[in-house]
Amino acid sequence: MTTFWDILHLLTATPLVPVAILGLTWGILGGALPGISASITMALVLPFTYTMDPAMAIALLACVYIGAEYGGSIPAILIRTPGTNSSAATVIDGYELNRQGRAGEALGISLMSGVVGSLFGLAMLALLTEPLSWLALAFKPTSYFALGILGLSVIASMGGDSLLKGLASAVVGLMIATVGTDPISGVTRFTFDVADLLSGVEPVVVMVGLFALTELMSQSGSTSVTQLGGSIRIRLPGWAMMRKLRRSQAIGCFLGLFEGLTPGGGGSVAAFMSYNEARRWSKTPEQFGKGSEEGIAAPEAANNTVASTALIPLLSFGIPSSNSTAVLLGGLLMHGLLPGPRLFEQNPQVIDSLYVGSLIAIIAQIGVGVLILPACIWLVNRPRPYRAGFILALILSGLFTLNNSPFDLGLALALGLMGYLMRLARFPVLPMILGVVLGHMVESSYRRSLVLSGGDFHIFIEDPIAVGLLGAALFFIVFSLAREYRDARRTQLQETHS
Amino acid sequence: MKRDFLSGGVLIALAAAYYIATGTIAESTLSDEIGATGLPRLLAMLLAFIGLALIARTAFVALAARRANVPQIPAEEEEGAPLPRAVGLLLIGGAYVLLLPFLGYFLSVALLIGAVAFYEGAARSWVLPTAALGGATLYWAIFVKLLGVHQPAGSLFQGWLS
Repeated sequence: MTTFWDILHLLTATPLVPVAILGLTWGILGGALPGISASITMALVLPFTYTMDPAMAIALLACVYIGAEYGGSIPAILIRTPGTNSSAATVIDGYELNRQGRAGEALGISLMSGVVGSLFGLAMLALLTEPLSWLALAFKPTSYFALGILGLSVIASMGGDSLLKGLASAVVGLMIATVGTDPISGVTRFTFDVADLLSGVEPVVVMVGLFALTELMSQSGSTSVTQLGGSIRIRLPGWAMMRKLRRSQAIGCFLGLFEGLTPGGGGSVAAFMSYNEARRWSKTPEQFGKGSEEGIAAPEAANNTVASTALIPLLSFGIPSSNSTAVLLGGLLMHGLLPGPRLFEQNPQVIDSLYVGSLIAIIAQIGVGVLILPACIWLVNRPRPYRAGFILALILSGLFTLNNSPFDLGLALALGLMGYLMRLARFPVLPMILGVVLGHMVESSYRRSLVLSGGDFHIFIEDPIAVGLLGAALFFIVFSLAREYRDARRTQLQETHS
Repeated sequence: MKRDFLSGGVLIALAAAYYIATGTIAESTLSDEIGATGLPRLLAMLLAFIGLALIARTAFVALAARRANVPQIPAEEEEGAPLPRAVGLLLIGGAYVLLLPFLGYFLSVALLIGAVAFYEGAARSWVLPTAALGGATLYWAIFVKLLGVHQPAGSLFQGWLS
């Protein structure tokens, strides 16, 4: 049980406050750059956390996530280009308000709705995570194997336009996870006498390669010019405006909670759903699309709620539901921390730092959000070629800090190419990352189960939790196949009629 | 359509190569029922099956479209940079990795920033080397001096900038 003194200790005897503010600042700046998503912003900072205290590292990553969700709304409102996917819904009314000369007001509504959403999400995170994690105590190796399979199936079936491609991506991720030393017998696999591969492929290298380098390669040669006006000042909404926005913010918070808990949901789905619901419940639905304040408040509250509630399945069961939470899981594993009830028992300081750090970041967001806007505008206005150079240098310098090995850099570059080719062939990368991250758990649980049963596969159907989870995995796969079949039929019918 | 056929073929080839590579895994006396090769072989077969299913599905869709006399849908326009352009950026990154032990961190990172900026369309002016050297100084200060990361000093200058 965390006491007031524990919190006081965190605030006074650890660098949590500067870490939270630093993470928040980095998150806002990264999120504000078009093309740099919240997960990329987190992946860029991940190598830096390698040498940090685990509690501070995890708090830093969570604060980056919070900051990036707000940062993404800055270019969405000012230049009609969402900085992150989840701020795409903010473009609709945010940019309209900007065109009416009310950009400062739009940014203020986005900021305060984000704060409301984040506070609600954090409260839900603190309330729900630990009780849910105790369920995991009833888990046996068979249940953990089934949980890993469920996580992979959900992400593979929800991530892209083809289930087969999602599954292929997940299998390749599991294959990458088999590189290195076998978790049971200790023999080496697929190392080809390369010493750097003995301990396997670091998930951080995979994430940086597939998220950040792939994005950089995809944007190469782009001639799009983004120019923001430099004289914009944020105008925070007054009480009257906050009262007007409370319904749309509540819708955003509720849907953000729901989507955060749903694997594959994510901030962008929550933002669009809450935008639609806010319009449906609004007293002035006709204003939506023409510069409605509620049209900014609902999606911003929703995507900021998701930034906290998406951590609930991650911390309880170790199942990331989005790119950003996959990066956070990578951070936990990098520091030898396994999500679940043991994390709460054995490393309470990590959980406390995460909660308190997030709270600091949310409160500081009001001040930092206002102060950092000129820096965001300056950064977004830098010529893209220089930005690309600085980002690639940051990626490669940061990766070197992991093991002081140029091998990691070469591997990340190769994975960047792989991610680029996957994007060309329309394969989602998230299932692959999850395969790498969950591979060890899936394989060791699978083999431990069979060791316990003496090789009898019936052990998987004797555990009711495993049966339930594997049944759910099967449901997601069948549901996804049915959806694909229905979509294909519909397209075919439309084409025949036309 | 062609892309999915090709993807299916690549998946099958990858599965075959991976399956063959499982032959290099040594047997251990500590091995369990499944063994160190058990899961990899299962994964290889699963990937090959997915590859085949992708090819079969693509063929089925093409056949159904032909039977229904549906006109060919033009290929969707590619998002992002074309492959040679993107690979060029990767090669600059590769050159950085190769030069790092020789030139050391400071010079390599300056060249990296300059080369990428130039490749991405920065004009030839005094801004380019200034930004490259300024960026290198910034990163050197952050990584080497502030964070204490042992970035390669480089054999060329015998660690002059370490």
